[in-house]
Amino acid sequence: MKLNRWATTLGALALLAAGSAAAQNIKIGILGPMAFVQGENHWAGAEMARDEINKAGGIQVGASKRQIEIVKVDTNELQSVPDATNAIERAISRDKVDFLIGGFRSEAVLAMQEVAMDNKKLFLGAGAADAKLCDNVTKDYERYKYWFRVTPTKSADLARSLFAVLGSIGAQIRTDLKKEVPKVAILSEKAAWTEALVKAVQDTLPKMKMEVVGTWAPSPLATDVTAELSAIKRANADIVFTIVSGPMGIVLGRQMGELQLSAVAFGINVEAQKDGFWQATAGKGNYVSTLDTFSEVEVTPKTVPFVKAFKERFKKAPTYNAATYDAISILRVAIEQAGSIDADKLVPLIEKMEHVGSAAVATWDKSHDLIWAVGKTSGIAVQWQDGKKVAFWPPQVKGMQPFKMPN
Amino acid sequence: MFQDILVSGLVNGGVYALLAIGFSLIFGVARIVNIAHTAFYMLASYALYGLLVIGGMPLVLAIPLAVVAVVALSLVCYKLVIEPVRQHESAVLIATIALALIFQESLLVSFGGSFLGIPAAVDGFVSVLGVRVSNQRLIILVVVAATLAATWFLLYRTKLGLAIRASANDQEIANLMGMNVNRVAMLTVGISVALAAIAGVVVAPVFVVDPLMWLSPLVTMLAIVVLGGLGSLKGSLIGAFIIGYVEAITVFAVPSGAFLKGAVALSIMVIVLLIRPEGLFGVVFEEER
Amino acid sequence: MKSLLVLPRWVWANLRSEVFVLPSRSLVLAAVLVLLVLPFAYADPYVLRIITMTAIFAIFAASWDLLAGYTGQVNFGHALFFGVGAYTSALLSLHFGMPPWLTIPLAVAASVAAGALVGVICLRLRGSYLSLVTLALPLILTGLLFAFPDFSGGELGVSGLKRVMTGAVGNYYVAVLVMLVSCFAMWKIGDSNTGLIFHAIREDEVACRASGINTQRYKVLAFMLSALFAGIAGALFAHFLRVAGPSSLEVALSFQVVIWGIFGGAATIYGPVAAVFLLYPLTEILASFDLFKEVRLLIFAVIVLLVLLFMPRGLVPWVRDKAERVCPRCKNRNVFTRHQCRLCSAELR
Repeated sequence: MKLNRWATTLGALALLAAGSAAAQNIKIGILGPMAFVQGENHWAGAEMARDEINKAGGIQVGASKRQIEIVKVDTNELQSVPDATNAIERAISRDKVDFLIGGFRSEAVLAMQEVAMDNKKLFLGAGAADAKLCDNVTKDYERYKYWFRVTPTKSADLARSLFAVLGSIGAQIRTDLKKEVPKVAILSEKAAWTEALVKAVQDTLPKMKMEVVGTWAPSPLATDVTAELSAIKRANADIVFTIVSGPMGIVLGRQMGELQLSAVAFGINVEAQKDGFWQATAGKGNYVSTLDTFSEVEVTPKTVPFVKAFKERFKKAPTYNAATYDAISILRVAIEQAGSIDADKLVPLIEKMEHVGSAAVATWDKSHDLIWAVGKTSGIAVQWQDGKKVAFWPPQVKGMQPFKMPN
Repeated sequence: MFQDILVSGLVNGGVYALLAIGFSLIFGVARIVNIAHTAFYMLASYALYGLLVIGGMPLVLAIPLAVVAVVALSLVCYKLVIEPVRQHESAVLIATIALALIFQESLLVSFGGSFLGIPAAVDGFVSVLGVRVSNQRLIILVVVAATLAATWFLLYRTKLGLAIRASANDQEIANLMGMNVNRVAMLTVGISVALAAIAGVVVAPVFVVDPLMWLSPLVTMLAIVVLGGLGSLKGSLIGAFIIGYVEAITVFAVPSGAFLKGAVALSIMVIVLLIRPEGLFGVVFEEER
Repeated sequence: MKSLLVLPRWVWANLRSEVFVLPSRSLVLAAVLVLLVLPFAYADPYVLRIITMTAIFAIFAASWDLLAGYTGQVNFGHALFFGVGAYTSALLSLHFGMPPWLTIPLAVAASVAAGALVGVICLRLRGSYLSLVTLALPLILTGLLFAFPDFSGGELGVSGLKRVMTGAVGNYYVAVLVMLVSCFAMWKIGDSNTGLIFHAIREDEVACRASGINTQRYKVLAFMLSALFAGIAGALFAHFLRVAGPSSLEVALSFQVVIWGIFGGAATIYGPVAAVFLLYPLTEILASFDLFKEVRLLIFAVIVLLVLLFMPRGLVPWVRDKAERVCPRCKNRNVFTRHQCRLCSAELR
């Protein structure tokens, strides 16, 4: 009888221990449109982080080490905003995640942010650039303080990176083409995030001794920009300043190549950041250049190892969404410092943190947005040269190659 | 600027014409509003991608094969899905929407959501009136002209064409006259989808291929057929070029309003319809009791 | 003392003679009761969120049916009224700081105005032409909204809206109660003289006009009523999600409501409501299984296609026809197990 009772008690204790060991996993919800490139990268970056951390034993939370478990949350945000809010609600109530990372489409992330803040969960953004997300933090700190943006920098700061790169391209044009005042045609997709950028470009370029010959604003989904390119050629532009995030970026690169325009495309072209760009332009997208985040150059000591390992594991290069890797690392540092996973304790720690990630050296301002600095959070600039994406800016980073003009 | 508008409108109008005529044909004869019309166009593009890029087939083989495959699929769909519910107009609408969604999702699952590029048949460009036009676009124009000529020949110089036009005019009497109306409808479906598929294979190298590419041509095409008059082939042709030119003018006259070209085209359609409800060349059908 | 029993007695008498005699009505009563007590049994915020969204979309689908099912004006751009409701509510909230109980009625008023406008535009159009023009209208509005991004928020829309009530349960009850009242109102309209005229317009407008009915007025009225309820749905949607963006005007949403309407059964009101309650949670449940996640929309489309093939009048009428029979003499419905009509004692075959 006594043996039986001992056995049951021990058995129960063992089960309890096993149960609580499993329950001790830190659950992180990775949010993104998983059927598309952005979500795939969100997940891939997170997988790399999880495997690395768990292999090292997990995260030190106070006295014990806890493993992390990442939960795939398909928001389908590109096709439906209510789907995204349903998905995040499911992740919080059903899957009981402790932290949320990811997001891409700004309209959807704004809605998801509300749900996350309702539940006081830390939400690290890894894709949406809209300023409103961080303006909310300033407007109502107590409610929105659980939001931090990990990537990209906000739209206005993208402008600063753009001008920095444009300066060096402009200098190259002045020496190569012997033109004192390069002509710039602005080709921006019609979207809320580009408005402020376009204005900033129109105001700043004359000060940089460049002439703006016109501004064209096709739809982000436009399948044909020959009309715009014809007009741009007619205006004798040297640089086509692109502010594009949709598939129009592919059409633009391809048609510029097909029509052998002598102008070079630079700016933001999100499609051109992807590996599939060369195939999508059927090999015609040569010389297209854009701001980017990841390349095999030493932005930080962690960049090259991360990009190499990512390429080896997933057989393709990471896009900026893979900075979920950095986001998890930020959480780890904060948790280990605080000794707990309580969001209220982690918020002040992240606010003061300087985090050396693979994408950037990140620090945050009062609105929980990234602070811009060249070589730290400015990103890099890449150009497609004969089928390869080559990094050419900032020049002081190791691994940069020269920028090429179309002949 | 005029040359740009002239050439740009011509090329885009030609592409729209191919799509619009196919859609108009099927509505005129079978009274089916085929929402999946541009979805077949998308399928043809993907079929070409699969055969050409993945399969490595030569272009001369890949193009006809892609077109034939898509037409065959459409006939199967028609037989299985559309024909049983032909009596209920709204059911047909839903059925075609559902089909289009099925195609979209199947392509999304098999090829993924990213954008694909198909190499052009002939590289390079030509300068027309000082405007650079890529060779592929000239090919499109040639194909459009040839296809339209062939369609005209079929409809106005062959017995089958006579049957098709008769069925479009008055199905009951055509049936009484001994024409197999069901067979005629099926053949019309085949011809109509063939037109869409041809559009898909010539246009795919010029545009970007992705599983959602059927949505925006759908809206433009609907605007065109409605503007020209549902069921009128002449109307669709003229409507296509009108819309093509309206879009070109919008882009050139208002560069920072280029994104509005869709909305402008649709507004014109709405205004024309208010003035002349059956479209420019449409025939008002008697209410079928 | 006796007079206190009058009301419960009357309720019980009606229940016994009107509701419990037919399986469909009993089912509706049961469903309503379940909806009302759900939060007490199962307060999971996720489930409540899904049902709240379902209720909002149910109002939307029923409003489409009132227009397209009853009068035959098949509206392919119903998202226009939804979007007008959502955006008006959101913009009033943002620019004037009005509370939800004020913005929602004003949004409904704007929606009704839009309905009147569209109704007048569509008076000259028939059949497929009407469908295609209505398809274009939300797209034109979207273009206009993009043209004035400072006012409308561009493609990000308006965000940071206030909830109608705090807490998932409060919002749930708001949505469910509004849905019950709206759908009952719509059903009553369908059942009334006006509804009869709507049916007549769909069947044969010329004969209707020949009978002396001003069909134009009724067609515009149909648009206005439909827009009213769609506007309610849109405004509730905006306040629940706290965001009103171009996604409330998109083509996919218009198509979705057409599918719900036809799938559920046109010209019934309860058909589309049932369709939404079946299909929307189903697509959500499928989303939580890894196996089905990718092919969710595919399965949805296939189901719709199958229902269309085998139940062309819609799911609910098909089920009803299986479970109930119409008396040949007095035309009232009876349970299929009966041999004699419950009202006129005629033989039921």
